Amino acid sequence: MEDYTKFKLKKTDELTALLEHKDDLYVISCNKCFKEFEAETEPECAEFCGFLKEQRKNLTGSTQVDFLCNRPMTEKKLETAIPAQAKNVCVISCGLGIQTVAEISKLPVYAASDSVCFEGRHGMALTKRRCDGCGQCYLNLTGGICPIVDCSKSLVNGQCGGSKDFKCEVDKEKDCAWDKIYERLAAQNRLDFLRTGEIQLRDHSKVNFKIINDYVKSVREKRLVGFYGGLHPTESKEFAEHLPLQAFPTPSTVVIPLSQHAGAPAVPLVAVGDAVKVGQKIGDAAGFISATVHSSVSGTVAAIEDRKHPNTGLKTLSIVINSDGKNEVHESVKPVADWTKLSVDEIVELVKEKGIVGMGGAGFPTSVKLKSPKPVDTVLLNGCECEPLLTADHRVMLEYADDIIFGLNVLLKTIGAEKGIIVIEDNKQDAISVLESKVAQIPNIEICVAHVKYPQGAEKMLIKRALGRQVPSGGLPLDVGVVVSNVSTVKAVSDAIQTGMPLVERVLTVTGEKINKPGNYIVKIGTSVKEIVDFCGGTTDADTTLKLGGPMMGFEVTDQNVPVIKATNGIIAIEPEVSEPNPCIRCGRCADVCPMELLPLYYPIYAGAENVDGLKEKAVRDCMECGCCEFICSSKIPLRTSIKYGKKVLAESEAK
Amino acid sequence: MLITQLKQIDEVKALAGAKTVIISCEGCKEVHFPAAEAKELYNDLKGSGTAQKVIRTEYVCSPENLAVQTKKHLPAIEAADTVLVFSCGVGVQSVSEMFDKKPVFAGCDTIPLPGYQGVTPLTVDCDQCGECYLNKTGGICPIALCSKSLVNGQCGGCKDGKCEVDKEMDCAWERIYRRLEKLELLENMKYPAQIRNFAPEA
Repeated sequence: MEDYTKFKLKKTDELTALLEHKDDLYVISCNKCFKEFEAETEPECAEFCGFLKEQRKNLTGSTQVDFLCNRPMTEKKLETAIPAQAKNVCVISCGLGIQTVAEISKLPVYAASDSVCFEGRHGMALTKRRCDGCGQCYLNLTGGICPIVDCSKSLVNGQCGGSKDFKCEVDKEKDCAWDKIYERLAAQNRLDFLRTGEIQLRDHSKVNFKIINDYVKSVREKRLVGFYGGLHPTESKEFAEHLPLQAFPTPSTVVIPLSQHAGAPAVPLVAVGDAVKVGQKIGDAAGFISATVHSSVSGTVAAIEDRKHPNTGLKTLSIVINSDGKNEVHESVKPVADWTKLSVDEIVELVKEKGIVGMGGAGFPTSVKLKSPKPVDTVLLNGCECEPLLTADHRVMLEYADDIIFGLNVLLKTIGAEKGIIVIEDNKQDAISVLESKVAQIPNIEICVAHVKYPQGAEKMLIKRALGRQVPSGGLPLDVGVVVSNVSTVKAVSDAIQTGMPLVERVLTVTGEKINKPGNYIVKIGTSVKEIVDFCGGTTDADTTLKLGGPMMGFEVTDQNVPVIKATNGIIAIEPEVSEPNPCIRCGRCADVCPMELLPLYYPIYAGAENVDGLKEKAVRDCMECGCCEFICSSKIPLRTSIKYGKKVLAESEAK
Repeated sequence: MLITQLKQIDEVKALAGAKTVIISCEGCKEVHFPAAEAKELYNDLKGSGTAQKVIRTEYVCSPENLAVQTKKHLPAIEAADTVLVFSCGVGVQSVSEMFDKKPVFAGCDTIPLPGYQGVTPLTVDCDQCGECYLNKTGGICPIALCSKSLVNGQCGGCKDGKCEVDKEMDCAWERIYRRLEKLELLENMKYPAQIRNFAPEA
């Protein structure tokens, strides 16, 4: 393996001269990037500190940082790290890290290292240098061998004449690039190409640094807007965003799991053979954090047995109901005459009774959020739908705007918050204009338009983007006076009050490049995924990955005989991903995209070694498993698997 | 960090054979990939019947990953007369090495961005000169930021703090002076004349 070590300590005599008359030193060292991830920290820091001791210097402290040139993270880290008594800062890093610290630090910054002279650039893999970024790729003329990098003289019109026995005259160990080019073109019968090609002139102005610098600025702005990190995966919303909601035909059988939410499973209230109606409560909440479940059809209870849970794949107690096709509504389904007369407790009870849980994916019981032990000033509605492909919330906002505003008002009153903000990403302009016109006359509700970025819909990111507040590590939105809810959830709250119908159906998107007929459907909870996929014309071919939810955080479906539950916002059929993990090369991309500002690269190592202290120190619990790191990983390492295992290791060690 | 820009559309179209397979590397998409233009071009080539298949993938710069990603497409690639790669120059060379019996063409030109290998480029740059000058210059790199990469102070052509090569660019040596002045370290500038050593170190 080639050594791409980025920097090395300066020589002792140079360092001695440099540090003459300088004392009270603080040392910052970068854990090199773009190399095989063997050691967690690099040896230069200890070596340099030892040298300072020999020189009888006062060392005020030292720190080792990952990706020192990553300014937002470095800035945070250094804010508190450098002690007051330090007068000079020594940096061991490549030139990028040194300049970054020099820009941030108020103290004089000195380089204790030289960047290693490694000319040329490479891609994202550890390969020998291959591309100089000349801006005028010659590979089409040369059979895919680069004359700029491979020829010592970077000649672009053929051999210099100095090559002997295939070897370069500048370096006799090196093959002549133009000999290699000739051989390859000959093998491909393309020598004519070489003979008749035009004379090439290298245009050095193709790499225009001004344009590049402007571009860098724009990328930085785009990447750092709203919150640190995040991604812009291809949205692919065009499959379904324009398709109006359709009621999905009532299935002949529904399977309603008693555990569709975060918290304790519900307790069944019916027995096999019982007749049930639409909206009838068939499972009761079993504790504070739990939720009721209701029948989505009228018919007969056929079984109460373990069935596969759509998300976890584990057996979960479910109520199987054969529909009579009549969809008779239960007598308990009655609208509330005047909800404004209800007390806070009555509304909370109603929301609980109607089985409403977060419909964005997590399935947290909504009634629990409504009873905040801390003061809340703002309710944020998540209309971002930042997952690619999904368009369910988009359609709900377009077609149920009034219900959303109604539901939001209920939440505002119940929670006692002053302001409601609906956050919508700017790829849903139609929904933005519909809702903006609807709230124009409502003083305490506003629309926040956010530029598309994944995972903007995650609670903590949403709060940062819309309000600039930072939820503390391990904390909840309540800690910063916010309650976050999904637009579909408040639509369900509105239904519970305006029609009295509990959460028995939901909107979901069936989409992806591999589904024959995409669409947005209002589906009864408990409908089988297979029935929906078949109704949508099935998949285009067998080589398909099916997921419940979006491509980033969705659950892969291996058995289509699982039901749609309250939190299922989509069924997607996509191209299967093939990948084999390679060793980590510390490219830093995971750290660059992690919205929680973590260092995911450490998790596979710490989780693998069951290193509890390491997992704690790198705050594995702050990870919300959004999948950005896994998506961007250039070594295709399944980081989320390690993260989940790491959390388990941590939980087990604490249980002991 | 390397990013790509599409070559002239006509130039790319002329490269395509009668049976072309397109490999589109989108791993660095977060930094830059001309996604919309590329998609249009792929559709064009598909529509005219020249492109048989578009393989959308990522990180083909890694030969190991390239092998994994192209495995199920090997028959299609074998049957093709041309492979058109949309990636940086590293990716094109990985592909042309793997399929060295086949004409492999680049659909993109590659340009370098300052900064490390993450996805957020930097406004500072390092030319990896091998003899860091930052100690003398208050942490502002004269190699990367002075148009002439001067290491012994201003050239004399600077006017009102702007570079004579590019009037919109701040003179690096003026910036160095100002920063050292702020740090009360102007003494630092009185170092012996530097000679830049271009010999690669062993």
